[in-house]
Amino acid sequence: MLSRVADNLYWMSRFIERAESITRMVEVNQSSSLECMEDSLSEFWDPVLKAICASEIFNERTKIDIGQFLFFGSDFPNSVKNCFLYARENARMVRDQLSVEMWVELNNIYLFFQSGQAEATFLQNPQEFFQKVIRFSLVFQGLSGATIPHDEGWRFMALGTYLERADQTSRMLDTLTFQKHEPTRLDLLAVLRSCVAQTAFRRQYKGELSMTNVADYLLFSRDFPRSIRFSIRCIDENLHSLSGVPSGNFSNEAERLIGSSLAMVNFTDIKIVMSNGLHQTIDDLQRKLINVGQCIFETYVLLPFELQSAEKSTFIQAQSQQQ
Amino acid sequence: MNSGQFSNYQTNSFFDEMFYFDEKTRIKPHYEKVYKRLNGLSADELDAKRSQAVSSFLEHGVTFTVYDDSDGIERVFPFDLIPRVIPKAEWVVVEQGLKQRILALNLFLHDIYHQARILKEGIIPREIVETCPYYRNEIIGFDVPQDIYIHICGSDLIRNEEGTYMVLEDNGRCPSGVSYLLENRAIMKRAFPKTYQSMEVRSVEAYPELLLRTLEHLSPRQSQKPVCVLLSPGVYNSAYFEHTFLARQMGIEIVEGRDLIAIDNYVFMRTTLGLVQVDVIYRRLDDDYIDPLFFKNDSILGVPGLMEAYLKGNVSLANAVGTGLADDKVTYAFVPEMIKFYLGQDPILESVPTYLCWREKDRNYVLENLDKLVVKPANESGGYGMLIGTASTKQERNDFKSRIKQNPREYIAQPIISLSRHPTFCDEGVMGRHIDLRPFILYGEDIEIVPGGLTRVALKKDSLVVNSSQGGGSKDTWVLKN
Repeated sequence: MLSRVADNLYWMSRFIERAESITRMVEVNQSSSLECMEDSLSEFWDPVLKAICASEIFNERTKIDIGQFLFFGSDFPNSVKNCFLYARENARMVRDQLSVEMWVELNNIYLFFQSGQAEATFLQNPQEFFQKVIRFSLVFQGLSGATIPHDEGWRFMALGTYLERADQTSRMLDTLTFQKHEPTRLDLLAVLRSCVAQTAFRRQYKGELSMTNVADYLLFSRDFPRSIRFSIRCIDENLHSLSGVPSGNFSNEAERLIGSSLAMVNFTDIKIVMSNGLHQTIDDLQRKLINVGQCIFETYVLLPFELQSAEKSTFIQAQSQQQ
Repeated sequence: MNSGQFSNYQTNSFFDEMFYFDEKTRIKPHYEKVYKRLNGLSADELDAKRSQAVSSFLEHGVTFTVYDDSDGIERVFPFDLIPRVIPKAEWVVVEQGLKQRILALNLFLHDIYHQARILKEGIIPREIVETCPYYRNEIIGFDVPQDIYIHICGSDLIRNEEGTYMVLEDNGRCPSGVSYLLENRAIMKRAFPKTYQSMEVRSVEAYPELLLRTLEHLSPRQSQKPVCVLLSPGVYNSAYFEHTFLARQMGIEIVEGRDLIAIDNYVFMRTTLGLVQVDVIYRRLDDDYIDPLFFKNDSILGVPGLMEAYLKGNVSLANAVGTGLADDKVTYAFVPEMIKFYLGQDPILESVPTYLCWREKDRNYVLENLDKLVVKPANESGGYGMLIGTASTKQERNDFKSRIKQNPREYIAQPIISLSRHPTFCDEGVMGRHIDLRPFILYGEDIEIVPGGLTRVALKKDSLVVNSSQGGGSKDTWVLKN
């Protein structure tokens, strides 16, 4: 398939996954924030903003509601509204790769956000608003599983989804390390709920809510679809099915990096992580995942001679606009 | 006799597509079923059908982009639910006329870029051709693949006060609108399934297949399945929806300049598995933008080296380079002469009488009679930069006078033709609105025209400009089998 098309599909999925994660996170934290005094609100949101790298932009602005900022802030590149704008723009360039149903869903959520209707719903009935956004993302992912062939393009979409998901889960977990105090029960629950993991977690740990257990689950769960280990395994599988090289070997840098990350999450345990520092581990993982994204781009989108004269490629310019 | 939706309908003094104009207003027989069905609709039913159509366009992203419009870049092309119906007998003549015309235009382009007999024999002044901005020195003597220049042509037809079909202009570069034709049909079949079926309307669905066959016919590598691509300027182009629509329907890749690369006089597309050689490019970019090395240095839309590959015969372009000469409204004035010169026939379709400001006699007449004429720039499209004399102010006429004197070659004038009108749903009810017709002609192994075309309608009261960029809308066009 066209390299650009692969790139568009990858980014489309990433932005949709990102929008969903941010929505879940705000939903959860907004309800937790009801438990804290109004004058300590900014303190409450601080770890969240830090984890998603939004605190600088937010702090430049005064007197804006945090929810409105994260959902509709036009100057915040990862606001949900912007995510949908980019997702649709990427999708518009590859409409022939999507089923009509997928396009209609994505276009509808985009139109909802463009019309001002979204903001009105958010203010009047936030619950309905959160549900609508999350439901869209789930329907879209369901449709991509059920209405288009699972061919090369689909693999690039999966790569986008899982790279973003691993990144987002790691950020949720990281909010715990940004707290000024020992994470409370409420903080731990908020993180689990942001990752839709509370029920699954309970089943495994029978109510033993501790920082170590939460981190263990979100990092290393073998079968929970939002754990970092699960996401990394999916990235590894999809990369190898693209190249046809068996897992455990590598034919390009993206495969080598993801393989080493997979080995790390397969063969380390939570005690080692906690003694090395949770934040440090998360940081290393995030950096590796960013590199994987970059290497996928260099392997499948750029031509070999463009790597040398990087500044000339229009692809690189487009790429840097996306991030 | 008019009641229901049509109760206030007036044909006034215009040629009306649906009604005869005489003492009493009578319905033309080929419209009877449409009339009956629509007239019986209640206002609520009608509203439901209209909003269904609009939301269907919006949901599917059937939108176009208007330049210089800061608020929201995409709009739905307004669509009118009353279909335009063309009886078989009328269509047969139009079809023959269009085929004759595309043949003559292609022979003309071949001649101009080879021996130029028509210039040598003084039938068309050499100066006219050589001063056309779309005339391409670069391809003189070059044999285009299959000797076809215009593979896809959109000629605009109007009907005058007597109902005579006339050609208003030819679009031999990158005519657009065919996706609306296909989408309009899909919507009408959903809105009025029984009426559609009972009238035995000719199908238009084959267009994408015919187009692909037209493209494949050009491939320099006939021994294998040709690799065709659609080259688009990208997502911000006003016709981007159409580009993706056609590519999807044909099952070919839609590419942008950056997806293609020319190496050693061959063109390749960049895929995840490496480079793939391209045989035919259906380009929706004007000549000027296809190759920055050849035409314009500042364009990033094209493919550096594409022209070299084209001139070596390693890749084919549809339409060929240099066809803009046939779009020039000055060239247009000579098409009847071309038909006689190359085909030895009389033109089947009439042209609109055209005054060339380049000719002194014509110019003087135009300058004296600006208030009665329509003045058009010879090489603009989209209905931009026109002066409609009857609707102009003195200031505007003076402005045009000095422009014409400064650059007479670039202006033509025509008598104002009152286009035929068609009943159209407006805010005030069903009203007569002026329409035209853009059929799409494909020239490959054979010449094929999908029945009908895109009927465009000027939605503003009394307006004669149907372009989408100027407040026009569209209708489905039903050509009848019998």
